[in-house]
Amino acid sequence: MIEVERVSKRFRLSRKQRREMGEDYSGGKFIQSVSDVSFKCTPGKIFTLLGPNGAGKTTILRMLGTILKQDSGKIIVAGFDTLKEPDMVRSKIGFLTGTTGLYARLTPEEMVKYYANLYGISGKKYTAKRDSLFDLLEINKFKDRRIGKLSSGMKQKVSIARTLIHDPEVVIFDEPTVGLDVITSRNIIKLIRDCRDEGKTVIFSTHIMGEVNMLSDDLAIMDRGKIIFNDTFNKFKTGMTSATIEDEFVKIVGGEK
Amino acid sequence: MKNIIIIFLKEMKDILRDRRTLLLMVVMPLVLFPLIINISSKFMMKLETSAKTKILRVGVILNSNDDRIRRSVSSRDDMAFTDVKDENSIESMINGETLDFCIVLDKQFDKKVKTLQQGEIRLYFKSSAKNDISKRRIDKLLSDYKNDLLEERFRILELSTDVVKAFNINEKDIVTVKEKFGEKVGGFIPYLFVIFCFVGAMYPAIDLGAGEKERGTIETLLVSPASRTQIVIGKFIVVTLSGIISAVLTFVGLYASIKLNSEIPTEIFDLILKVIDINSIIVIFTLIIPISVFFAGILLSFSFFANSFKEAQSIMTPFNFIVIIPAFIGTLPGVKLTATTAMIPILNVSLASKAIISGTINSGHLAITYISMFLLAAVSLIICIKWFGREQVIFRGG
Repeated sequence: MIEVERVSKRFRLSRKQRREMGEDYSGGKFIQSVSDVSFKCTPGKIFTLLGPNGAGKTTILRMLGTILKQDSGKIIVAGFDTLKEPDMVRSKIGFLTGTTGLYARLTPEEMVKYYANLYGISGKKYTAKRDSLFDLLEINKFKDRRIGKLSSGMKQKVSIARTLIHDPEVVIFDEPTVGLDVITSRNIIKLIRDCRDEGKTVIFSTHIMGEVNMLSDDLAIMDRGKIIFNDTFNKFKTGMTSATIEDEFVKIVGGEK
Repeated sequence: MKNIIIIFLKEMKDILRDRRTLLLMVVMPLVLFPLIINISSKFMMKLETSAKTKILRVGVILNSNDDRIRRSVSSRDDMAFTDVKDENSIESMINGETLDFCIVLDKQFDKKVKTLQQGEIRLYFKSSAKNDISKRRIDKLLSDYKNDLLEERFRILELSTDVVKAFNINEKDIVTVKEKFGEKVGGFIPYLFVIFCFVGAMYPAIDLGAGEKERGTIETLLVSPASRTQIVIGKFIVVTLSGIISAVLTFVGLYASIKLNSEIPTEIFDLILKVIDINSIIVIFTLIIPISVFFAGILLSFSFFANSFKEAQSIMTPFNFIVIIPAFIGTLPGVKLTATTAMIPILNVSLASKAIISGTINSGHLAITYISMFLLAAVSLIICIKWFGREQVIFRGG
């Protein structure tokens, strides 16, 4: 379970960043990345966070993962407050991004073992989980090769194994299919569904409409740091006044004037 | 603690698989550096031997009845008398490498010498590193001739040669071999290990900070159960250890290069070993620890700040000079460890090591050096931890 209550987050801008934002920018030294955001993700369902680039999706997910701290509001992940018990939160989550986040000089076996060690998983428990993940993802044939020599599809498989080695209650996917080929993307989509079917709490961010249609149980649309739609995906579809999900999304975020 | 060990072991394995790190941390101080020392010393020795044994082509234009110089040149095995007709042709002969030196006695030479005035001799040569060594032989030849002439004058004047020596200085230098060695080369040793300690720590620091950001692995590490302090300390130990390994290997490399250098006589090698005793080495090693910690803190902080490998390198390059300058000042003769210099980082370690090697270390100054370096090391570690905890640093410009 994830509960996000009235969360806001702003970032201090450097002079260079202010200059880069152009003369029209009048927001002072700070930029409001997330503003008064609330939502709830329940176990056994896929919660989709949809929004254009710069909407604040990654900031929200990083706050769920305790990488960033919110300025105000409250976030509860798997029953633990992200500000008060960040260590407990981190032990309950798995985090997967489009950039695989792997060490090129390690082998898949060493990479997964490293994270298993950090999660305190060892002995038979580790061996059993590793074997099942390596079989499922067909990692065994390249488990002893250096990650730097693997294809992007192979790397993403290793990344998935790293994310799930501790069997997390909550799985966070931050634009997990960005830059991946069709086959690898399909594997990720299957993985997200599998996580839901296992009763995990799943949140994933995307700006790809096809993925929204294939995966979403609940949907939140973000734009400029605010949530402008938050309900079930079915309600979104039934309330649509446009022909496609993409057209409806563009209409909601005001992309076409 | 467990997470620190896990991170340390992983990072150590990771950097030891990196060729660039191995090159800077191990190969350079252990192989490349002794190789450079050996090759350059062999080259210098060869140059000196060749300059000393070379048969010099020496021309003499007398303009005088006294042909002692010409006879001296002709009688020596290491010189070949070369006939020079005209003073105007000397320069072209030297440039054309048919002549090395030419001694020209002035036309007034005989007259002036006979009237007890100062005669003039012009010595033509082309200076170079090799020729300067050869020139010592010509200087000796001329000096002998000058002494002959002086003795003649004293005889004519019926004076003893002691007349021009008002007193004789009998020097009693009480400096020990250890002190002399410490003063002459004692500064060079810490200069080397300080530089190699820094260089050895630099690359792992970049890889473990900016490299982690560039590869996108920092995010997944930050969502692991390891706290930020544990992550920093794990990485910090690796960078510190890299600096220490590099500095220690510099010593080993230096020892090997002296030991393997056939040009260095065994007596000198034994003398070096006698001067740099095991106790001195142990005390110097204890100084490497705080300086490595200090470097690790500073380098990792810069590295965490940078967004990419390239940016980290450009930030750290100017810092190289900040390290080299005090280390270099420490090599200068006359710069000593005092209560003030003992508080200046890097310079204090350099000067303390020099004083330890020469056996003149003052325990009070050494204590100030330790306190100052350990304080700085602690501050650099705290800054590094704080720095890593700041969102603006880790996700700067992200």
